[in-house]
Amino acid sequence: MTYALEIKDVSHWFGTNKVLNNLNLQIAHGQIVAVVGPSGCGKSTLLRAIFGTHPPKAGQILADNEPVTKPCRSVGIVYQHYTLYDFLTAKENVAFGLKLDQTNLPFRLFQFPKWRQLQRQHFAQSIEFLNRVGLSHAIDKYPHEMSGGMCQRVAIAQAMIMKPKILLLDEPFGALDESTRTDLQLLLLRFYQENLEAKRAGQTAPHTILIVTHELNEALYVSDRVVGLSQYHADGANGATIVYDRPSPIFHPDDPRDFDLFLSQREELRKVVFDPESKKRHEEFVTFWNEHADLQAIAMQKA
Amino acid sequence: MIRQPIQLRTRIVISVLSILAMFVAYEAIAMRQSRINPKQTVVPGITSLWDGIQKMTTPNRRGETWLVEDVKATYGRLFLGLGLGIGLSIIIGVAMGAYPWVEAFFVPAVSFFAKIPPTAMLAVYFVLFGTKTEMFVAMVGLSVFFTLAQSIYQVAKKDVSDHSVFKAYSLGATSPEVIYEVLWKQILPRVIESIRLQIGPAMVFLIAAEYVVGDVGIGYRIRIQSRILNMNVVYIYLVMLGGSGLLMDWSLTQLRRKLCPWFGE
Amino acid sequence: MLKPILYFSVAGLMLAAGCSKSAPSTSGGGSTSAPGSTPTFSLAWSEYPSWSVFGVAHEKGIIDGEEGKLGPIEEKWGVDIVLKEADYDTCLTYFGSSETDAVCITNMDTLAPSLSRDAVAILPTSTSVGADACIAVGIDSLDGLKGKPTYGLEMSVSQYCFERNLELQGKTIADYPFKNMDPGAAAQAMQSNQADIESIMVWNPFVMQTLRTRDGAKVIFDSSTIPEEIIDMVVIGKDALAKEGGEAFAGAIVEAFYEVNKMMADSTTGDDTLIAIGQKFSSLSLEEMKEVVKQTRFYGTPEAALALLTSEKFQNETMPQVSSFCESHGIVASKPVIGFNKDDAQFNFTTKFIEAAKAK
Repeated sequence: MTYALEIKDVSHWFGTNKVLNNLNLQIAHGQIVAVVGPSGCGKSTLLRAIFGTHPPKAGQILADNEPVTKPCRSVGIVYQHYTLYDFLTAKENVAFGLKLDQTNLPFRLFQFPKWRQLQRQHFAQSIEFLNRVGLSHAIDKYPHEMSGGMCQRVAIAQAMIMKPKILLLDEPFGALDESTRTDLQLLLLRFYQENLEAKRAGQTAPHTILIVTHELNEALYVSDRVVGLSQYHADGANGATIVYDRPSPIFHPDDPRDFDLFLSQREELRKVVFDPESKKRHEEFVTFWNEHADLQAIAMQKA
Repeated sequence: MIRQPIQLRTRIVISVLSILAMFVAYEAIAMRQSRINPKQTVVPGITSLWDGIQKMTTPNRRGETWLVEDVKATYGRLFLGLGLGIGLSIIIGVAMGAYPWVEAFFVPAVSFFAKIPPTAMLAVYFVLFGTKTEMFVAMVGLSVFFTLAQSIYQVAKKDVSDHSVFKAYSLGATSPEVIYEVLWKQILPRVIESIRLQIGPAMVFLIAAEYVVGDVGIGYRIRIQSRILNMNVVYIYLVMLGGSGLLMDWSLTQLRRKLCPWFGE
Repeated sequence: MLKPILYFSVAGLMLAAGCSKSAPSTSGGGSTSAPGSTPTFSLAWSEYPSWSVFGVAHEKGIIDGEEGKLGPIEEKWGVDIVLKEADYDTCLTYFGSSETDAVCITNMDTLAPSLSRDAVAILPTSTSVGADACIAVGIDSLDGLKGKPTYGLEMSVSQYCFERNLELQGKTIADYPFKNMDPGAAAQAMQSNQADIESIMVWNPFVMQTLRTRDGAKVIFDSSTIPEEIIDMVVIGKDALAKEGGEAFAGAIVEAFYEVNKMMADSTTGDDTLIAIGQKFSSLSLEEMKEVVKQTRFYGTPEAALALLTSEKFQNETMPQVSSFCESHGIVASKPVIGFNKDDAQFNFTTKFIEAAKAK
């Protein structure tokens, strides 16, 4: 089986300080995985390793079976602080990747008419994506003319239009107000529904997402799988590793947004991942793949 | 109240008054000087500035007027020097912002020379570039280069986050594309602003150099004419310098608005 | 190198502000404060052997160049002399804009300002006899110079000396291009072996510096062929002279000048005085100063000065010639009226104060 993302025996250290200790994780196509962990546990280090800007010192990271050693098309990203390109409108921002990926400067200069034709297709595609993230009214706005939530929607569309093997969301809603945050969480739930529809039709699910968040409710609400990264475990104090990996409840966008539904799992997470006194062996709560088959069946029924 | 907005019409009226006030102040100084000495030419009245204009526009032995000769010489040197200096500083500045090893190589020299007024190194320029056009061009070019390269490099580093660069790679960009499509486009308005701010100093250095070694050009004419107290000519040249400075300033602002509508004011 | 630029901008600022600036002056001893009624007059001077004399007079305590303080000569004449030291070009601007009462200036450079401010030459201080020179590298004779540009300050005594020498040798001036460059910059360019600077026309101290520094530099000709044509002088504005105490001011300047000259002539104080002047004049040594004084011949006594001012040649040949040169080169739009002991002339040479000094 090929995974959208596979992390094999990854370790990383700065000097004598071991940050990541022998991480192993596989993410299947169509999963939405939330990664949580106490601050300083190495979430950012892991994310940078997956993104390819700072490859790990030991181990291997594969996206769709291809090793990731530098930022590339396979891994998309949305940062917390929306890094849209200031000099491009929403439409151009979303189409930017298509332009970079499919054309080069000589082509754009010397085959100008062809480029214009292609650009029109890019823009059409871009507008379609902007519609999907609910921004049909803002396609010609520059980033400085948009709110934080709008920018973040554009950033998601910008990454998704490239159809990456896996999309990394780094605290994507951390800087937004509550209602915008809720809207964007619902957007992720809709993506998950698209995944289920694709599976029902026998296709590969389009959206594989890894979301890093410090907000436990958010993690449990938007994902179908929660991964806890923590330095608190009984394997010796040497670096963080995965101490929690279990399915999370699956919500339909129309379901009531009731966080009490996963109260006990939240408490479990808090104890296992965030409590410094937690001295469990790390495998104990890493049971996702055992439960996976059952869960998927349930989810399919529910949909 | 501080920052109380005013109407456009009021603004225009005040500006016109301010220009009028400059003329009145000038004429007042001229009259004061003339009371001391009616024949003085140091602060000629506005009417006698007309004689200065005529002097400037009378063909000389070579069949050229001072005005044409000097404007050609000075602005030729200025634009050639600016062109070379700006071109080079963009290449080096952007490379410094993009590649830490280029940065490490150029930072010491660039930040050192950016602090030294080129006129203080006139003797060095003689030795390196002679006393002809090359020297003036080099003086303008290098004076612009060091300061501009420094500010372009700082902007390229500060205004373009690692995230924007890394994301561009994840969107399928090659390194040259990151430089041209991300770095360059992001810093362009600030580059134009920096260029705008550099034209003034470049002109000062050029005029100062012409003042010392020129045998044609605005700086040369100002020195020779002020030495023999033909201040009516000198002041016309000064007005011309001010006017051309304003024009270049305005053009660059327009260029920036046109190329970078996203940048705002 | 920066000096002209600096002075240029300072002068420009001053003009714009229309205000006067008090010039820096060095400290001197043995002076008393001027009572409020003592009239104050200013003398602008620049570094030049026979003008640095006034700086030395201040240092030696003969006069006190600070405002409000009087040296013995000032007390005697009842005037307060304020010395303003500045770059030569700036001195010209000072005089033209009435920012100074008197100025150290050459005969030729007085013509242009005398058109707008009547000038009275009260004292010739020296004449150039070799202090202005055409120096070339790799060129042996005037014939070799033909067609090659000589660099020097246009519309100045350099250009005058250059063309006068060509005239004397019967050459066509058009064959010898004269190109503008600041004399300091020209000397520096030649000293730094600039290939395109083969010939320069400059004044001292640049002449001596260049000959000393650049191997193979050779004097093609100099001002020794035209003695008593380039005259260094002290000039007072006629308006200033007419003010109360103006004549006393002129008398005091003349006396101070001759006092220092007496010190130079005296074998016990001569070397010291020369060294003092040399320090003012680009830090030259005693030997070099002795050479400089030969090339810049002082009018050290009233008799020498009178001999010049009353000479037929100076009155009827030299000054008309200088005047014509200035007119043909656009330095003056029209010739000013030059007179000798003629009070209504625009540019009047007066012997009145020299004779007064001689009579004592």
